Amino acid sequence: MNWRVVATGCWLVLSVVAGAASADPVVVVSAQSPLSTLSRDELTDIYLGRLVRLPNRERIVPIDQVERSPEHDAFYTAYLGRSAAQIKAHWSKLIFTGRGQPPRALGSGEAVAEAVAANPNAIGYVDQAFVDERLRVLPIE
Amino acid sequence: MRGWLPRLLEPPVLFTAITLVLLASIWGITWNLANREQVAAQRTAAALTAELADTYEAQVVRALREIDGTLKLVRYALEDRSPPAVLRELRDHELLPYARLFTVSLVDAAGSVVATTDPDDSDPRALMQVLESARTTDAMVVSHPQGDRDGESLLDFSRRYADADGRFAGVVTVSVHAGYFVSSYEARVFGKRGVLGLLGTDGVFRALRSGDTLSSGLATDYAALVSDDADEGTAEVRLHGWDNTRRYSIARKLFEFPLAIVVGLAEAEQHAAAADLRRRYLRRAGAVSALLLAVMALLGGLSWRLQQARARAQDERIEHARRLEHLAFHDNLTDLPNRAHFSHLLIQGMQQARRYERKLALLFLDLDHFKVINDSLGHEAGDELLQEIGRRLHGSVRASDIVARLSGDEFVVLLPEIDTPDQVVPVAEKILAAVARPFTLAGQEISVTVSVGVTLFPDDGDDEQTLMKSADVAMYHAKEQGKNNFRFFSQALSTDSLERLTLEASLRNALERGEFRLCYQARRSMSDGRITGMEALVHWQHPELGLLPPCKFVPLAEELGLILALGRWALTSACRQNVAWQREGFPPLGMAVKLSERQFIDESLVKNMASALNDSGMDPQLLEVEITEGVVIRDIQQTIRTLTDLKRLGVRVAINDFGAGYSSLSNLQQYPIDMIRIHRSFIRDRGRNPDPSGLAAALIKLGRSLSLTVIAEVEPEAQADFLRTQLRDEFQGYYTHQPMSAEDFAQLMRQQLAAEDRPRTD
Repeated sequence: MNWRVVATGCWLVLSVVAGAASADPVVVVSAQSPLSTLSRDELTDIYLGRLVRLPNRERIVPIDQVERSPEHDAFYTAYLGRSAAQIKAHWSKLIFTGRGQPPRALGSGEAVAEAVAANPNAIGYVDQAFVDERLRVLPIE
Repeated sequence: MRGWLPRLLEPPVLFTAITLVLLASIWGITWNLANREQVAAQRTAAALTAELADTYEAQVVRALREIDGTLKLVRYALEDRSPPAVLRELRDHELLPYARLFTVSLVDAAGSVVATTDPDDSDPRALMQVLESARTTDAMVVSHPQGDRDGESLLDFSRRYADADGRFAGVVTVSVHAGYFVSSYEARVFGKRGVLGLLGTDGVFRALRSGDTLSSGLATDYAALVSDDADEGTAEVRLHGWDNTRRYSIARKLFEFPLAIVVGLAEAEQHAAAADLRRRYLRRAGAVSALLLAVMALLGGLSWRLQQARARAQDERIEHARRLEHLAFHDNLTDLPNRAHFSHLLIQGMQQARRYERKLALLFLDLDHFKVINDSLGHEAGDELLQEIGRRLHGSVRASDIVARLSGDEFVVLLPEIDTPDQVVPVAEKILAAVARPFTLAGQEISVTVSVGVTLFPDDGDDEQTLMKSADVAMYHAKEQGKNNFRFFSQALSTDSLERLTLEASLRNALERGEFRLCYQARRSMSDGRITGMEALVHWQHPELGLLPPCKFVPLAEELGLILALGRWALTSACRQNVAWQREGFPPLGMAVKLSERQFIDESLVKNMASALNDSGMDPQLLEVEITEGVVIRDIQQTIRTLTDLKRLGVRVAINDFGAGYSSLSNLQQYPIDMIRIHRSFIRDRGRNPDPSGLAAALIKLGRSLSLTVIAEVEPEAQADFLRTQLRDEFQGYYTHQPMSAEDFAQLMRQQLAAEDRPRTD
């Protein structure tokens, strides 16, 4: 029990330090969002289309950035641990088999920030620079 | 039924059969199970393939319709507007497919890309081919796979569009990675060597995936792979030439597109589980079989050994029984039929003779003096003699004749094919001659003779018992007539033999009943007429026949083996009587006792004589032992030993009836004897013949030269003068009295003593 707490704590510290160092994008939700925190697995499931409703029955709408944006690859590598090609293959299969739709991809961080701010159920990732008072950075455990 | 069932139960057969049955069932069950698994695996694989094909078909059709829908939408939206604007607008309304997978482009009639959703917008691919192929058709055109800048294959789906005037203005194209169409390949379901493919009707694979390998542009024989059969529901195993793999496969043409789907599951993979199971079954069956064989071999071996042992034991039992049977019916010494067997043979022979009205001769043989030979040379020599006799008898008759040994020295010969008594004579003579040939026994040459009684069936008896009895009677008469001859049975003999039989029965008990008496024959000196001694003779006071002289029963006693006991009794009684008379005041009187041959060779003779002398206290010098010539010729060494022992006791030994039998003069001087008693005939004849110089004189001289006392019994009237005058100084002649009882003898003695006293008192 104790070691798990310690391990979790360590991981949090490390991730914060890492985030600060490489300027990874941050996961944001609307300031009105009921979400306060997400696990890494939950985040992964949301972005891979496996999780569409939160435990509180609220629908959740993930918002992506276009592939060529710098935040795209950084986000998927840092948070989901997957390459762009893997993401592409994943959605290729889901679309082909008709079992899911990929999140809407927006062309800029600004657009994402706007979209997230406008929808309390939305979730997105932006560069730290786009975080304002309408948004809340969601800590990922 | 009785024949094969026991043979079936014999261990080798039984165990082999059980083993074979068990092996057959083990392998039958194994084969059946493996086969069932195989069939189940085939069915499962085929069903799975069909199901996967259905799903894949639906997925492909939906994907194609989506692409076609996009093409139609873009073409519709174009009107006369700027292509880039149209694409942007459509994208913003999320009417275009997922941009990362699908690129929508517009190409004008000249081949220039006028708008695209490809962010890089710099695809160098020549779309001319697409343009050309779409120009002439109104349908959706599917390109061959094109390599993109990342080296991946792209498929272009295109439709032509027209300008306001209806002229060909260009094509709308949706490009998508070939891998998209095979992205539903899951290793979990398809394995490593399954196949999922999208095949153009031109025989070129637009996309083909097997395991993790994705390929496109591969050409194959479309007609061979895709059957025209509308009912394409079932999967068949086919060899896919492009990777040389056998698969359960379904290839099906899509209804509205120039494409076909190919779905395949590798046979090897689908069968792997079943094959594994099959191998496991086979291994188990192999192990069980080996175990079974081992156990059965062990059990079979043990059982086999047990059976062998049992069979051996049985063989031994049978052999033993056969031996016993042989022993039961054969004499074990001579191997001739024994009494029981002969009785059986005789009855058979009589039946045969009766049926064919023939005669049958029964020869009853008894060896002469066999008991003496047996006792003097030992039983082993006796047995050897009997064996040899058996062989000789067997050799002197025809094969159809039967020789049997009844007991001891009794043999019988059965001549079954006789018509007249005359025919028996040569056989009997032959037998006599065969037996009489000398034997060499225990290093000594001896001869034996046989007495034969002949009886005829049915003349002398028509049953076994009578026949045997008459043969026996005839044989005894042959014996009485001097032995070594044969005698036919006659009714007269039968009467004689009755007496004999009566004697035989009572003789056995005579000694216990005290029926024997000693009689004494007084010997009176020829010179002065005084009684000088006596000869003890045993008489039998038979309860019915009265007093019988020795000649009537001694031979019988010899045959019955009673002679030793009788002799012992006679000796002891004689000694006692002699001593009693001494005590009464009689002068010392010599006591002569005859020893038969049988008595002489008895080993305990000397011991018995010593104890008789000791017990009675008789002076050994008074005892005179008379032996016959026959005794002394038998075994010289043994005879000398016995005679020496007797001499040592102090008794005197005389050879009785010297000159009557064999003239064993050469041995005479070796024998430590005291006297020879000349046979009566020498003296008696001398009386009628006035010539005194003759055999008697010669014998007397002989005796004298050997320092032997020569004695002779004389008859007072006839020879008195001759003997008195010629021989009185040269031998001791004596007169004898009739045998008389002890009382009479004592009376005679008293008279003599009184007569002697008178002159003295005078």
